[in-house]
Amino acid sequence: MEKFRTLFQHFQSSSESVMNGICLLLAAVTVKLYSSFDFNCPCLARYNALYGLGLLLTPPLALFLCGLLANRQSVVMVEEWRRPAGQRRKDPGVIRYMCSSVLQRALAAPLVWILLALLDGKCFVCAFSSSVDPEKFLDFANMTPSQVQLFLAKVPCKEDELVRDSPARKAVSRYLRCLSQAIGWSIALLLIVVAFLARCLRPCFDQTVFLQRRYWSNYVDLEQKLFDETCCEHARDFAHRCVLHFFASMQSEMRARGLRRDTAGGSPEPLEGPDGLDGDGSRKAHLRAVSSREQVDRLLSTWYSSKPPLDLVASPGLREGGLNHRAPTVAPGARLSQHTDV
Amino acid sequence: MDKFRMIFQFLQSNQESFMNGICGIMALASAQMYSAFDFNCPCLPGYNAAYSAGILLAPPLVLFLLGLVLNNNVSMLAEEWKRPPGRRAKDPAVLRYMFCSMAQRALIAPVVWVAVTLLDGKCFLCAFCTAVPVSVLGNGSLAPGLSPPELARLLARVPCPDIYDGDWLLARDVAVRYLRCISQALGWSFVLLTTLLAFVVRSVRPCFTQAAFLKSKYWSHYIDIERKLFDETCTEHAKAFAKVCIQQFFEAMNHDLELGHAHGALATAPAGSAAPGTADGAEEEREKLRGITDQGTMNRLLASWHMCKPPLRLGQEEPLMGNGWAGGGPRPPRKEVATYISRV
Repeated sequence: MEKFRTLFQHFQSSSESVMNGICLLLAAVTVKLYSSFDFNCPCLARYNALYGLGLLLTPPLALFLCGLLANRQSVVMVEEWRRPAGQRRKDPGVIRYMCSSVLQRALAAPLVWILLALLDGKCFVCAFSSSVDPEKFLDFANMTPSQVQLFLAKVPCKEDELVRDSPARKAVSRYLRCLSQAIGWSIALLLIVVAFLARCLRPCFDQTVFLQRRYWSNYVDLEQKLFDETCCEHARDFAHRCVLHFFASMQSEMRARGLRRDTAGGSPEPLEGPDGLDGDGSRKAHLRAVSSREQVDRLLSTWYSSKPPLDLVASPGLREGGLNHRAPTVAPGARLSQHTDV
Repeated sequence: MDKFRMIFQFLQSNQESFMNGICGIMALASAQMYSAFDFNCPCLPGYNAAYSAGILLAPPLVLFLLGLVLNNNVSMLAEEWKRPPGRRAKDPAVLRYMFCSMAQRALIAPVVWVAVTLLDGKCFLCAFCTAVPVSVLGNGSLAPGLSPPELARLLARVPCPDIYDGDWLLARDVAVRYLRCISQALGWSFVLLTTLLAFVVRSVRPCFTQAAFLKSKYWSHYIDIERKLFDETCTEHAKAFAKVCIQQFFEAMNHDLELGHAHGALATAPAGSAAPGTADGAEEEREKLRGITDQGTMNRLLASWHMCKPPLRLGQEEPLMGNGWAGGGPRPPRKEVATYISRV
């Protein structure tokens, strides 16, 4: 398990590493899936092509969608795309960068499947055995066209009685597998050349813009994660207070009914109880005012509809009316940041 | 598992060690790929040579380019090549060193593939089966009776035992043994040649320009480590920025809601008492921000990193960005320089 923890920590170090890790995992799952899948060509004239091409193209589509699902950043990207501009303007370049990085990683597993299928050859042989030109093979000279078609349809099935131990079947199968492998290697070569050129030539175009977009896309991802964590913390404190509040109010209700003879507290108790039991002032800090369902809902909808501007020194108010009242509390904040400058 | 962690950390220590690790893995993967790959000679006269040449040459090219793509130094090399000189001169020797070290490592997996292919012999057999000297190995007297296309069609089936029908002309085993023998001889010669070349390059290099080589190696490692540290610092900064942003958002919400309450104990709850609790945490986060607190400044910093890298001279007080720095003064640059000193 140590091994996994080290690998896990390495991949957690940044959001890009996490995405790369997920990508590799999905590629490994694809390889395992392909090797354990039991290919079963129907060997019937019209169904062969359907089965072969279906198996070549449907699992990659499913794997592509899985790749998008497994990647948190796809959701973050869509949220960033659809949010109202509010106090923070949207940068289409950042959204495009996130989109392209998500798509690239999601395409890895489907391509692995397609390449494996082509290099293995079974799919291709099954799909195109009926489309082979019989003229190429001398063994079909003395067969009628319908016989030839029947024969060709059964080529993918080695154990079928009609084609068992037939040199013609082996010749056709070999020819198709060879073609399939050639196509597979050509696609692999093309992809790798494209990837290499993209990697080499990227710094020649707009490197500064690229650095900026990479930073801000990482920022958006981190901010979303931190916001979720802060909300979780808030929810925990909220629940804690709620439960303590409930117990304290039960206690005071019982006192009020006279079931206990001790001197009763009145209204202060429900408030003091939770406060006294808490003992951790800083945790309650963000619960002070946001302590009801409507307020939490309002906080969350404000986060979506009007994200704060990317400017920590001058933080404008969330509502116009609050601006004057907030001026005294903003000033210490601004002074704090200037202290750190100096 | 400590051993594993040590190895992992050692390999991660710099890009070159990491690439050595990747190189080894790719060489093993190359051999594994060859054994998993089902070689499938078409046994047709025109197609044999094309298929064999493809199998001998395309996968090595793919492996070579993959080795380059996986190497982060490729984009680093391109960046270093294309960046404006700014205040840091570019050294072509460093670029050459980086390119050579990348190419050398990327060549190992293709060499393994070619060596394994030749030593195995199937590829060579498939390519040259039509060129076998029938007169020497088989019934030479019967050969002239066949037309060349007919002979070619017959010999093309030598690699495929289940469809070969030319035993009367040439025993299949004889041809296979002959071609495999040549293939293995070529394979071993290739291995010997490459190892000899690598040995000569490695031993002879210190005789030429060793001092310049040491300098290039140092500065190439430096550029790699600097880039990694810059990325880590940016990530830390982004985290701190996000934390402070969210804290301010929650505080602003608090104030808004508190001011909205006309009555109630919550309205009288002193915000000041909450402030010290959160202020310590906020203070620490603001430290990490190193004075860069808005989007425009961060963008300028990132642009300046590429357009005008700082000079390789620590302890200077020149402003980083000249007139463009709205914050004024050398304070933030000095902070960054101090960080570098303490880290290195």
